[in-house]
This record gives sequence, C-alpha cells and structure tokens, in this order.
Amino acid sequence: MSDPLSKAATAGEIARAVATRKVKASAVIAAALERIEAAEPTVNAFTDIVAERAKKRAAEIDASKHHGPLAGVPFAVKNLFDIEGLPTRAGSKINVDGPKAVRDGALIRKLEAAGAILVGGLNMGEYAYDFTGENAHYGPSRNPHDPSRMTGGSSGGSGAAVAAGEVPLSLGSDTNGSIRVPSSLCGLFGLKPTYGRLSRAGSFPFVDSFDHLGPIARSTEDLALSFDAMQGPDPDDPVCTHMPADPTLPHLGEGLEGLRIAIAGDYFAKGGEPEAFEAVATVAKALDADKTVVLPQAAAARAAAYVITAMEGAQLHLPRLKARPQDFDPDTRERFMAGALLPGSWYVKAQRFRRHYRANVLKLFSEVDIVLAPATPCTAPKLGQVMMTLGGVELPVRASLGLFTQPISFIGLPVVVVPLQRRRGLPIGVQLIARPYNEKAALRVAAFLEKQGVASAPPV
Amino acid sequence: MAKDKPDVARLVDEAAKAIGLPIAPEYRANVILNVERSIAIAQPLLDVKLDDALTPAPVYRP
Repeated sequence: MSDPLSKAATAGEIARAVATRKVKASAVIAAALERIEAAEPTVNAFTDIVAERAKKRAAEIDASKHHGPLAGVPFAVKNLFDIEGLPTRAGSKINVDGPKAVRDGALIRKLEAAGAILVGGLNMGEYAYDFTGENAHYGPSRNPHDPSRMTGGSSGGSGAAVAAGEVPLSLGSDTNGSIRVPSSLCGLFGLKPTYGRLSRAGSFPFVDSFDHLGPIARSTEDLALSFDAMQGPDPDDPVCTHMPADPTLPHLGEGLEGLRIAIAGDYFAKGGEPEAFEAVATVAKALDADKTVVLPQAAAARAAAYVITAMEGAQLHLPRLKARPQDFDPDTRERFMAGALLPGSWYVKAQRFRRHYRANVLKLFSEVDIVLAPATPCTAPKLGQVMMTLGGVELPVRASLGLFTQPISFIGLPVVVVPLQRRRGLPIGVQLIARPYNEKAALRVAAFLEKQGVASAPPV
Repeated sequence: MAKDKPDVARLVDEAAKAIGLPIAPEYRANVILNVERSIAIAQPLLDVKLDDALTPAPVYRP
C-alpha cells in the first residue's frame, strides 16, 4: 500500500483512502499539482493545467457523503478531448484559434461522475498522426525513463504524465497504436478497448474507421476501474455500442483458468529488435503458453490500415491544408498532403479487405482467447531520430513504431499492453489481444502477470 | 517493375491541381517522398485478390 499522497499511489489506492477518509481529495490534488510543477520542466507532458477547477471539485468530494469508485483520483487527458472552456488543441496550433469547448468530452464526464478529478490536458502529436510524441508547436513530450528519448505517440503526454507519477491515470486515443506505443515505450499498462465500446463524443477525430479512446495507468486494477466507469452506450457517438456495461473489475482475480493463450507468429515474430521478442517470450513462459498462431495477411492489414489512415486523415484536414499549410507541424503537413493525393481505389480496396481480414482473424479466436504479440518493435528511440534499423532493415521511425499495433486496431480488437521493466535498458510492452468485447480476458491475464511480478509499472 | 514505375512528381502536381490543393515549392519534395513511401507501404494490400462478394461493410462492427 503506497502513501496516497505519493507518486507511487495508484488510482485504486487513492480512491480507497479518500472513501475511508484517511486522506482528503483536496490533499491528493494539492500533491498532484506539486508533482506536476516539479516534473514538467523535464517531461513536458501537460499543455493545460486546470488547477482551480480541480481544487473546487476536490472540495466538493470532501464535502460529499457518497464516494464513487474513483473518488479523489487525479487524471489528465490527451488534449484532443474537449475540456469545457478550453479550445480542443488536438496537438495543433490551428485549433487554438477555434471555439472553446462548451462541455467536457463524454469520458471525462463519466470519470468525474465516478469521483475522479481532471487536472489538465496533455501533449500529443499533431492531430494524432504520430507515433513519436514529438510536436513542433509545444515541444516533445519526454520519456521519464530517459528524457533524451521519445515517449512514443501520439498519446505522448498521456504516457509521460503517468510514468513520471504526475497523475496515476490518463486517457489517450489509439487509431493505429497511439495508446499502446507510449504504454510500451514508457513502461505502462494501457487498454485499447474494442472499437465502439467507449464513447468518442467530445473528442477531436482523426480516422473515424479506427479511432478508439482508452486509459493508461500503472496497474491493471486502475485500467479496469476506469474502463468500467467509462463503459456504456452513448447516442452522441454513432459507432458506440448498444450493449450495457459489463464490469471487468470483479473478474481480475480469476487467474488463467479456462483461458487459451497463444503467441502470434509469422509477421509478429520478425521485423523487430531482439528485446521485443524476448519480452513476448518472457510473458509466454509466465503464462505457460507455447502454441503459435498466425494472423493471416497481417502485412496486408498493416498496409490497409496505413492507406485508410492516410486518406481519411487527409480528407478531414483538407480545408486546413488549403487555408493554413504554414501553421501545420512540418512533420505532419506533408504526410497529410500526400494522403490527399492517393488513388481512391486504394481506399475502397482497404475497406473491402478489412471485412475479409476480420472474418479470418475471428475464426482464429474460436481456438484461442488471448494472442500475445510485441507492442513495439524496439524500446524508445532518441528524440529527433528519423530512421532506425529493425531486423537489419533501415526504416523510418515515424511509420514503423506501429508495425505490430496497426494490424490489430484495423479490425477493432481489444488489447491490453503489459509493461516489462528490464534490468538493463528501457521498458517495453507486450500486447494481450482478445476477441471483440472480451477486454475482461485480457485484463485477467494482465492482472495475473502483475501478481507474478512479470509486468509492473513503478513511477520513475 | 522499374520501367512501370510511376512519375510520382507529376502525379503529385496533377492530383493536387485536381483537388485544388496548392503545394508550396518548399513542401513539394517531401510530399513526393511521402507518396513514394505510401506506394511502397500499400503494396501488400494492392497484391491481395478479393472476391467480388466482399463489400466494404458500410456499418462496421468489430
């Protein structure tokens, strides 16, 4: 049990301490704001801090008789979430000139209804078209494990803020890997839920076909606590599920019984550095998993995800590319422009292929419940690094950090990333991939690995 | 394959005109580079053969 005022405290520990009146929410928020002030010069995770709002909310919680499951837990959100009274930056300079949000995003409202307290908005790659966490307008978010290195992106601030212990919980978005990549490079637990399972209302879009929102935290319990608080239908998001919430927290302690676990072979077993595959082997050994399965045509899935991303993203931003090209981050501008010029037949084929690939991958899930794969092909690259060598091949960093995450989000499968802290070297994550709507199984496996001491996420 | 290689610079210039996207000279080389990269990355998708019955599933459910 950590001191609820320390940076080691998890969301669950804080909520229990506030609910039993061992600590006041006001004290938790004051401590978090102090930690943010101390860490920001190094990690640059925040773009907006809503200190007065957070203090007011904490006072209300302290005066209340009923405490929710996240009572007094400070959290922060990637700045593509609407925060009432602020422009929704989405990592851009252009959006700052736009209207201020009149209401918080749906997931912020749900977390606050459960007692959590928003403390600010977090840095991100411009318009989420990013795997690095770098940003020309606001500076890069820096990896707390080594500030000369990338956090991963695009939810870079969401990774940095939690890894540095500024807050125990953050929200990010994941279109092609933007929750899973920073979770891996910053050594954190991350959940990319099933496509459509959490509402995206009140968040700035990137690629509607694959946009997901989800939590990053330092324990499996915190992923489950926040996920459960955010579940449920929302008519404001046209793809949001109609299924009722199905709590995962009560099942975390059920262990591995009845779960069939396999390792993703072929595409997912090559094209990365040895540490990525060693991490998968370590997790597989702890889970006693030795069966290998092949996700058929994963390379084509990655290609199709790339095409849909480039073309939907470019189409969304075309008016801004025409009117204000000089105000884009140079690292996104020309990629968006290129996406606007690709042949339309590629896009339609990619969408047709998605249905084909989905059907084949779902067949595989009749034989297994969880598939293990690397989250990133390497540990955190240096800030500013443009090219890297993966499996002996020279590749662009920006496009390649998501090699192992893109073929999964392409069909909306839920994934938990578990972090492995390496004695010598930087942390790296492993994906626990489940069938649609089976987040529960992935969270059970993550909780087992955490209990065994295989996966952990101590603050830096 | 080499002789079929598209003239990407020309493709960029003409397609940009067709959609009314001005590309400043200082951005042009990098746009061309990114279209070339996209052609390489898209190749595994372009090589796939799909059955006519595979429609794009306009309402996508995972």
